[in-house]
Amino acid sequence: MSKKVLVVDDDPDVRLFSVTVLEENGYTPLEAEDGESGLKMIKAEKPDLIILDVLMPRQSGVHRELKTAKALKDLKVIILSGIAKKTFLRSQKALTEFGGAEIPEPEIYLEKPVEPDELAAVIKKVLG
Amino acid sequence: MDIKKLLFVTKFEELGFDALRSLLSLRNSALEHVVFVNVIERDRVAMRRGKGYQKDEEIRLREAANIRFIDWSETLFEEGMEVGVYIVVGSLVPEVIEATQKEDADLIVIGRSHKGVLEHLYSGSDVTELLRRAWTPVLVYKQLSETTISVEEPFERPLLAIDWSPGSLRAVEYIKALKDTVQEVHLVHVADEKELKGPSAMAIQKTRKEARNKLEEICDKFAAAGIKAREHVYIGDPDDEIEKAARDCQASMIVLGSSAKAAWVEKFLGSTPRKIAEESIYPTLLIPPEKGE
Repeated sequence: MSKKVLVVDDDPDVRLFSVTVLEENGYTPLEAEDGESGLKMIKAEKPDLIILDVLMPRQSGVHRELKTAKALKDLKVIILSGIAKKTFLRSQKALTEFGGAEIPEPEIYLEKPVEPDELAAVIKKVLG
Repeated sequence: MDIKKLLFVTKFEELGFDALRSLLSLRNSALEHVVFVNVIERDRVAMRRGKGYQKDEEIRLREAANIRFIDWSETLFEEGMEVGVYIVVGSLVPEVIEATQKEDADLIVIGRSHKGVLEHLYSGSDVTELLRRAWTPVLVYKQLSETTISVEEPFERPLLAIDWSPGSLRAVEYIKALKDTVQEVHLVHVADEKELKGPSAMAIQKTRKEARNKLEEICDKFAAAGIKAREHVYIGDPDDEIEKAARDCQASMIVLGSSAKAAWVEKFLGSTPRKIAEESIYPTLLIPPEKGE
């Protein structure tokens, strides 16, 4: 059975792009348009990998929740965002200072836009 | 009543990041999440004869907004805040109301309306429409370039206008919850000349004394919450006197309770909260009553 990959992004064009890459590479894509529906889908579908945007409506701190919640923290996450990687990592550090629990880094961080081959390669790398 | 999540509605020309920065003192209280909202008005991308729907223009406007929000978000992220973004095509007020409900936001921040006189006359302003429909407090921000006052932190020295309405009494609780942000609050009640009981000086003094005593009780509540408060009674037209009081007290913002008046009532009779929100030089925070009050 092919591996399930959930794409959480509010931009329909980015979702279409990611879903196309996933389908062409033999994965089963799932989609969510914001953080809240993404979290629901993660709990219901238990995907093997999540491709996650950072700036989204409703529940923007999905990465923090994924990486700090006991039942979810082992999920593999690729961040695909317009936010610079160094800014994202600094924000996670600042959130740790405010919130207490340390937030592990995502498996891979990609800055938008990304080429289809690059995305396919990192998915393969993460899922093995 | 904490402000944990703030909805920052901008078309960019009227409300920039400097405005948001001036509100970040709310972090001392409870603010932890900012949601940016940019509504691309339908007529900017609507069908044109021979061109159809202007998808390219929509993409250009969306990306321009997205790039700006990413830049702003990076600053907020680095300060450990959470950020959300809505860039939608539609009508401003319904989209803002929908985003407020989805996000369960505690405060809406919006710039003063820039519609022309004729547009105001026929369709009213976005701010007025939002005030009428929102059950969430609305801060109508005034840019420094629009005002002759210098406001670095609007929540530092608010002037709270009290008319004993449910909205204004709710505003007391709202400001009390901001004790780590507010330095001093000035309470003002404007007694309308029509309300004064009798023509004698004694009767006027009695009205003033009664109002002052009631305000003192509220001051005591603020003091108990750790906020310095002073009471003031003015007499005259509330629209003018509240503005004068704000100037006298060197206030950083005006806070008023808003009512849920029907549209036609406001259109013909006007309302003090709406007028001050639209016309005052001060940032104006309007607190609606609880639903059903």
